[in-house]
Parts: sequence; C-alpha cells; structure tokens
Amino acid sequence: MKRRFAGPLLLGIPTAFLLALFVLPLVSMVVLSFWRTENYHIVQDWNLGNYITLATGGAYVTFLIRSLVMASIVSMVSVVIAWPVSYAIILYGGRYRLLFTLAFAVPFLTGEVLRVIALQGLLGPLGLINGVLMSLGAAPLRFIMYTNVASAIGLVYLYLPIVVTVIYLSLLNFDARLIDAAKIFGASPARAFFEVTWPLNLFGTLIGFALCFIPCLSATLAPRFLGGPNGTLYGMAMAQQFGESGTWALGAAMGVVLFLTSILAVLAVCLKVDLRRTGFTGLGRG
Amino acid sequence: MKPHEPHSDAASPAAPAAAPAASSVDRRQALKVMAAGALATVAAPYIRPASAAPGQLRALMWEGYLLPDVIAGFEETHKVKFAPTFFDGNSEAYNKLRVGGTKDFDLVQADGFWPSLYFREKLIRTVDYAKMPSTQHLFPVFKPDQYKLLTDEKTGVQFGVPFCWGSYGTTYNADQVPAEKAASIELLFDPAFGGRLSTSARFEENIALTGILVASRMGTIDKPRPDGKSFNPYVLTDAELEGVEKLLIEQKKLLLTRYQDNATLEQLLASGAVVAAPEFAQVYRLLLAKKAKGEIDTTFAHTLVPKEGGLGWVDTWLVSSGVPDGAGLDVCQSFIDLMTTPETMKKIALASGCSTTIDIRSLSTPEEQKLYLMDRTGELSKMYMFDQPSSTEKWERVWSRMQAA
Repeated sequence: MKRRFAGPLLLGIPTAFLLALFVLPLVSMVVLSFWRTENYHIVQDWNLGNYITLATGGAYVTFLIRSLVMASIVSMVSVVIAWPVSYAIILYGGRYRLLFTLAFAVPFLTGEVLRVIALQGLLGPLGLINGVLMSLGAAPLRFIMYTNVASAIGLVYLYLPIVVTVIYLSLLNFDARLIDAAKIFGASPARAFFEVTWPLNLFGTLIGFALCFIPCLSATLAPRFLGGPNGTLYGMAMAQQFGESGTWALGAAMGVVLFLTSILAVLAVCLKVDLRRTGFTGLGRG
Repeated sequence: MKPHEPHSDAASPAAPAAAPAASSVDRRQALKVMAAGALATVAAPYIRPASAAPGQLRALMWEGYLLPDVIAGFEETHKVKFAPTFFDGNSEAYNKLRVGGTKDFDLVQADGFWPSLYFREKLIRTVDYAKMPSTQHLFPVFKPDQYKLLTDEKTGVQFGVPFCWGSYGTTYNADQVPAEKAASIELLFDPAFGGRLSTSARFEENIALTGILVASRMGTIDKPRPDGKSFNPYVLTDAELEGVEKLLIEQKKLLLTRYQDNATLEQLLASGAVVAAPEFAQVYRLLLAKKAKGEIDTTFAHTLVPKEGGLGWVDTWLVSSGVPDGAGLDVCQSFIDLMTTPETMKKIALASGCSTTIDIRSLSTPEEQKLYLMDRTGELSKMYMFDQPSSTEKWERVWSRMQAA
C-alpha cells in the first residue's frame, strides 16, 4: 500500500511543480506572443505580427545569429578547457579531487552580477590587465574593452565551472581499467583516449556543452556589461522588451523562438551522436 | 454550518470510528493534505503577497537616493521596515506598476511627465502637502502654483512631491574638449573624439536627445508639428526617427561603451578613457569633489542645456494607489516629509550629486550653491521634460536596428 501511494506522491509533486512553474508560464508566453502591445498596453488581438517582425526585422535575426555563434564558441572553448582540467583532477587529484572540483564552484557563492562587474573591472580600461600593460608603457588591449571578445571571456568565466563539474562527474563514473585494457592490447595513450575515454564520456561532455550553450544563448548580463556598442546578443535584446521598452508581446515571441532554437540545437547534437555508444540509457533502452 | 468550520464527518465524534472505509478515506485525505501542504510550503516563497506585510514600507526607487542612516532613524521612530526595490528608467518602473505593482509598492519615484501618466492610469494617488511641512521649502519654481506637472488639472489636487532636478547635459574633459564644441549635441557625434565618447544605455533618452539634433538639422524643431503642439523630442515624426536611427548607427563606432551606471561612467571619465558623455550632472559633481580632494587632476565641465535644446527631469516622490487613506498614507507622507527636509536633501545632494528642489542655500557654501545650480532653477523651463515615447514599438525598432547594425 505504501508503495502504491509513495510513487504517485513522489512523482506527483515535482510534476505539479513543473506544470505550475514551467509549463504554465511557457503556455502563457506562447499566448502572449500572439497578442500585441501598444505603448505599454497589452492588446489581446490574435495575430502573427510579432513572428513576422522577428522574421523580417533583420535586427532580431542578427541578434540570434550572433548569439548562436557566441554560444557555440563559448561552449567549445569551455569544453576544451574543462576536459584537461577534469582529467587532471581525476588522475592526479587523489583524495583531494572533490575539493578541487568544489573549488571551481566557489565563484557561485557570489552573484552573477557581481562576477560580471568584477570582470568588467578586470578587462576595462582601468582594469588589472590594461593597467599593468599601461604602467609598463605598452598600449592597452582594446579588443578586451567592451567588445564581443570581452563578452566571450565573461561567458567562459561564468559557465566553465559547470562544464568542469559535469565532465568530472562523467569521468568519476568511468571505469579507468578500460584504458589499461586498451593499452595492454597495444593501444597508444592517444588511441586509448580517442577510442575509449572520449566516446565513453561523450554523453557527459555533451551535457556539459548543453549546460553551457543554452544559458549562453540567452545571456543578458555579460553582453550588457562587457559587450560594448556592438555586443547586443539575443538574450539582451529580449530582456529589453520586458524592461524599458515594454514590448512584452514581441519579447514573448522572442522567448518562444529561443526555446525552440535551444530544443533544435539539443536535438541536432543528439541526432549526430550515437547515444547508446556513449552508454546513455535515458530513453529506456538498455 | 459556519463558513470556516471543517466539513468532515469522519472527524465527528458521532461517526463510526473503526470502519475500514473510514480508515481508507482518512489515509487518502491525510495524503491529500500532506501533498497540498508540501506544495504550498514549496511554492510559498514564489507567490507574490497581495498586500503589504504589516510594518513594511515598500518603495520602488532609484538606488542613488537611498540614505541608510536617515532611513534607519525613520524605521526606529515609526516601527516600520523600509524595503526598497530599485529600477533604472521610468519605463521599467511603469511596467512594474502596471503588472500589479500598486499592491507591491507603497512609494514610487518617477520624473518628468511620468507622474501625470501614472495618475491618469490610477497607479498613484493624491497626497496632501499640508501633511508634509518640508514642502514649504520648495524653490518657488517647484511649488504647485508654478510647477504644474504634479497637479491634477480637473481637481487641483497634488499627486507628488518633487525633490531633485537636473538635465541630461554633457559632462566633458575640459582639458581635451573645447567648450564651444561641448555646447552642442554635435559633440556626441564628432569623429574627432571617436572611441572616447560614451552614452547611457537608456534607449528613450538616447533617441530623444538625438531627435533634438535631427530636428535642428532638418529645421523641423521650430516648425508646426503634426499634433499641433510645440516640439517634443518624445513625439518624433517618422522622418525624424529615420534620421535618428541613421545618426545613432554612425555614432556607434565612436562610442567606447554605453555605460550602465554612474560608477562606471565616473571611472571612464576619471581615467581619461572617455572625454565626453551625456549624464545627469551627478557624475560631474562627484568628479569635482574628487578633484577638490586631490584624487584626480583632470578638469571637468558640464553643459547643462546644449544650444539645440536639452532634456530635463524632476525626480518626484509618489504614493501608490494601493495605499489607502489612514495610517498607511500617513506613514508614506511622513517618509516623504523626512526625505525632503533641507537637512536630508543636503545629504542626498552630496551623496547622489543632484540639484535639489528644496532650498538648501542656508546649509550650503557659496561654491556648493553654484555647483548645485541653486540660483539657476529657472533654467528648467528651457528643457524638454522626460516623457513617454509616442510609440514605444517604433522606438524599440529604431533601437534594435541600431544595435544590430
């Protein structure tokens, strides 16, 4: 009897929670996207105007392309940095490897705004990097002052800890004896890595990539504080619709497009990767 | 049965106690209650309170006007907790109020024409100047008989108390920018200062200020307007908006950044990375204070109203329409009264760098009187007051196209 009630109860609460806090807001956003605003007033007039504006407005397509490029670059850079870091922690961290991983989470103890503003100070004209360069008589690095490069640095800084943690957890569950077996059968360390370690940790890597890619796609703070006049990304433009311009319906349509883009991006990655080869069993297949 | 009485036969002493069916119902009900309780507990922090928590005074305001020591004294005297929420621009505050904010905030700040819009839309309520003796110290130009933007035309009642004023003028590095160049909005579009200019991130003021320049260049600023009224940079024609977009796109490559806050602009100007930027004169005064202390060497100057015309603002305390008559309103008015005493206003002026609507000349040195424009309140009449854009949709498109260009 206990099991009969425990299951529905334990699964029911998170389901209700998801319905109330994720599905309902999403549905309301979809509905709002088919209405329009007029000088800070919502007009419940069903139309496709917002989607037509997004498709034909040019500016919004530019923001989306910029964000896709930015999110892809930042996610790839993060994975490239995170892999050796996680691997080194697993190989050489010994009994302190959990502490090493947790150390990456220390910046999360402060708010995202604080971290971005701190980075603005570091990269800006008065920042540590340019301050040192100028005191040495060198010219300041203009490409890190209010540019897309500065935004990318900020986003890597913000999301790298997540990627490191995810890849570390993947490696933690990986049976390292398989590498020894590959070596015993004559594989070089590089071959053992690319044919055993990498594919068997690919799913963890993809999760790390996705957990970096998706928030980067909707990033607001980093481009706002670091991006400069040419650094407007999709998330920042979307936030503007809900903030000062009060064009909520257009913002809702932007949100729907962002949501669909994120899903398509994840699906595209999943289709390209043989998930079963990576050991993924989430689709119910053993 | 009384409305609040529990409806439960099983709980009744008269009901059979040990029947299996009753036992099953009890367990199911208990589980339902537990589930509902758990859900309510988890969701509680996310459900917005419908009305003020007792003993709280909630304000929607600009962060720069927060005076912790004065507020702590008020909290002690009135046994209330002051809970501020900050915003950057009027439209952001307006949005917050429109989506139920009148139940979430007791006090609100706004400037220019925005308070009258709030009042028309019943987002704020009337206030009683007689309950706020500090209003006696308003400069004549800000008293209700002269300053009409806070008085309801129909009833003659007031709905706000002005406390700070200023323009969206240009602060510039006087060592590098000639004064005659700084007297014009053209400075902000001058390639000679490329990479060393900055503007705020506020889309309304960027478009409106550029609109003044465009209308001046087009010669439409003094011509009859389509709406029959005099020129208002917040009501631009499509041709003027097109000119604004073009000019803002040209300006982009001249900007180092669009500053998000005064602290950033202060750093950029102090370091010499930026030599001119439009702002509310607050950063200018803070820079002068730094120079007086010997912390910086650079000389800074400020153009209050450019020759083509400038934007002006009067920051105002308002009471939300969610505040009923009685004790709630009394606390709000007491707070506004405290915040507008000459002594408090002097502190606000020094902390935020703004000019005050309250006459604080008796508390100020001659230098302060000059710096804070205490004898120049009349210049407010030459400025275009901050207002709501005639079409936020059109203005948003202009801003987005400029950002994407």
